[in-house]
Amino acid sequence: MPTAEELRQTRQIYFDDVSEGMELPPYIIGPITPTYIFRWSAAIENWHRIHYDQDFATNHDNLPGVVVQGTWKQSVMPQYLKNWCLPDGWVWKISIQHRAILVPGDTITVWGKVTKKSEKSGLGVVELEVGMKNQDFIESCPGSATVILPINGGIPVPYPFVAP
Amino acid sequence: MPEEATKLTNQVKEMIGITGEKVECWNAIEKEGLRRFTQALMDPDPRYWDEEFAKSTRYGEIITPPIYCAYLQKTPPGEEDPVTKAFREDPQSDGLGNVTRPGDLPPIPTDLKRILNGGNEMELYKYPSLGDTVSFQNKYADISERVTKDGTHMLIVTQETRYWNHKEELLCVTRLSLIRR
Repeated sequence: MPTAEELRQTRQIYFDDVSEGMELPPYIIGPITPTYIFRWSAAIENWHRIHYDQDFATNHDNLPGVVVQGTWKQSVMPQYLKNWCLPDGWVWKISIQHRAILVPGDTITVWGKVTKKSEKSGLGVVELEVGMKNQDFIESCPGSATVILPINGGIPVPYPFVAP
Repeated sequence: MPEEATKLTNQVKEMIGITGEKVECWNAIEKEGLRRFTQALMDPDPRYWDEEFAKSTRYGEIITPPIYCAYLQKTPPGEEDPVTKAFREDPQSDGLGNVTRPGDLPPIPTDLKRILNGGNEMELYKYPSLGDTVSFQNKYADISERVTKDGTHMLIVTQETRYWNHKEELLCVTRLSLIRR
């Protein structure tokens, strides 16, 4: 995970720098603790008991214990991609599925891989495969994304974003 | 599949396209909510808190995390506490199923009790600014049925939500796939 200072100094990756098959630098998060999970529930006011009530999670929902929220995963993914395309790129679309659960003790690797690149209306359109694996390489959050990168020497990515 | 086994009844199909009331979130975008959220997300990006640095970025101001506006559907003070209401109605409430929030869509008429987050789609267009009020509107975009290998019937409910700022600029669109089983 980048620090504030690293995010402040991020240098732009241009469309020209990207190739199909290229892997994004992964994020390693964790080990996750129940406190992280509780803090997320509190921040977004998610009262679903499977995230903080161990007895309910195991005896009612037959889970191994409290589990990481899907909302956290769906928020980490745009964060990861946003940081990759800072300062001037734009994360346009993300689609993820929630597969394997993540639980306290897991160390999570957020990853991305470029699957396709194309130019449209002077902008770089980059398609990615993305996901989130635990330490046993079990995929928890497979999906895809579309990120818009500036072309070196080209026009700026519009903000507010307008689809090319 | 046999009609008697399906969970995608006509009554359920009639829910597709139902759109909820457009709701303005109670509180404007403000620093304290943003601090709490970004720390829980573990994203220390100075674009969320360092005003001087934020001014030097292409946005020219503090921004929020990409789908922050999707988490502003809080119950306004003065309204009935939804958690108390949920547990009064069902002492075994899972804390989710019968907890209501402003702008909620009418419940799907099904006997499938469990609700799982199957996946999410997001389209991003703009970050709200500090001081912006955000409005949102929910819609049942689709409901389909899936039958597992062991014959268990599930409903996949796609709920689309659109978010705007007070200038009616579209901020983002989310599509949540809820698995009912």
